[in-house]
Amino acid sequence: MEPSTPARAASPTADPARNEAVLSCILDMGELLLTSGAEVMRVEDTISRLCAVYGFSKADVFTITSSIVLTVHTPEGRVITQTRRIMARDTDLGRVERVNALSRSLCARPVDVPRFRQAVDGLRRAPAYPLQAQCAMYAMISAAFSIFFGGTFSDALAAACSGVLLFASLRFGARLRLNSILLNLLSSMLAALAVVAMVSLGLGQNPDKITIGNIMLLIPGIAFTTSLRDMISGDTISGLLGISEAILKALAIAIGFAVVLMHFWR
Amino acid sequence: MAWYVLQTAMGCVGALGFSILFNIRGRKLIWSMLGGGLGWVVYLAGVCHGLDVFPALLCATLAAALLSEVLARVLKAPVLMLLVPMLIPLIPGGDLYYMMSFFVRGDYESFGQRARLLLSEAGAIALGILCAASLASLAVSLHERRGAGR
Repeated sequence: MEPSTPARAASPTADPARNEAVLSCILDMGELLLTSGAEVMRVEDTISRLCAVYGFSKADVFTITSSIVLTVHTPEGRVITQTRRIMARDTDLGRVERVNALSRSLCARPVDVPRFRQAVDGLRRAPAYPLQAQCAMYAMISAAFSIFFGGTFSDALAAACSGVLLFASLRFGARLRLNSILLNLLSSMLAALAVVAMVSLGLGQNPDKITIGNIMLLIPGIAFTTSLRDMISGDTISGLLGISEAILKALAIAIGFAVVLMHFWR
Repeated sequence: MAWYVLQTAMGCVGALGFSILFNIRGRKLIWSMLGGGLGWVVYLAGVCHGLDVFPALLCATLAAALLSEVLARVLKAPVLMLLVPMLIPLIPGGDLYYMMSFFVRGDYESFGQRARLLLSEAGAIALGILCAASLASLAVSLHERRGAGR
């Protein structure tokens, strides 16, 4: 990926400190995109466009799901490299959209370094839905899908309860910095225990429908979709990484539910 | 019929819920909810007209994915943002569960059947996403060749 447009606006200077600050801002945007669940293609595209706008004569960016490497050439022939290691990704498509909007506006009208830094920091602090709302969504999704797959309304109620439990255990586990596969395994075991308990207490008749509602919450649909789109745009490594992660996660969820159900059913 | 309406409505609710979890805001919530419903309606229509699961799911995925590619350009939003919630109702969570539960009970014949079904469903969705993405990139490069860049 080589943007050929030379310095368009933001005056290229020989000041190395300024160049490094710009590079760090650009990489921050790339990192925000990647950690929020954007495709690799979008990350590389955004970074190379911004490098061209900020007056670097050549930019080589290499991104996989766990790392970004960026090397730029300044017009004076200096070469700078910065690297980011990406440890964890989650899904915040609203943030992807805001980074995208900022990138569009910067490409149209670049701003100076302090204001660039400010804008990037502003993106990081952008609002999320409050925890209560997210928790309510877990309950709602779980209930909706247990009806969707043929459950009754009392199944839906039970699914909503175990959905809330799932939300709590996922939040708690994330705070403990548990590995996400282990976290999915433990959370599905907990949810399965809750389903068994509720059905034996008489809330909900079809444990299978309640469980499916919960499984729908955990299935790594976004990882699957992103990885496929990565592969079609030529980022095969990232696509394969993402798909194997999605399969591992799905297996962890299935095993989590299976271990508990094996004990309580037949 | 009433059951199908209820099921589609629940699919829409599920898609809406996931859109909120993914921190999507404003009018795009409505679009991704409707898109989720559209995918499921296409699937139901296919199945009711005697299509197999694979082609029906492929059509449904294509419909949702193409809608999201077009909408993304109209709304100037990332494709992924619209596509992911729209595909949620098509995810074969039920078959994943039954496959696992047959395995736990030691009913390996039913397990194999479900596993095959699950594989073909995942394949149909994957193929749909891939086709829609390639069609869109083809359309974009044709458009750019005619001299209209970004």
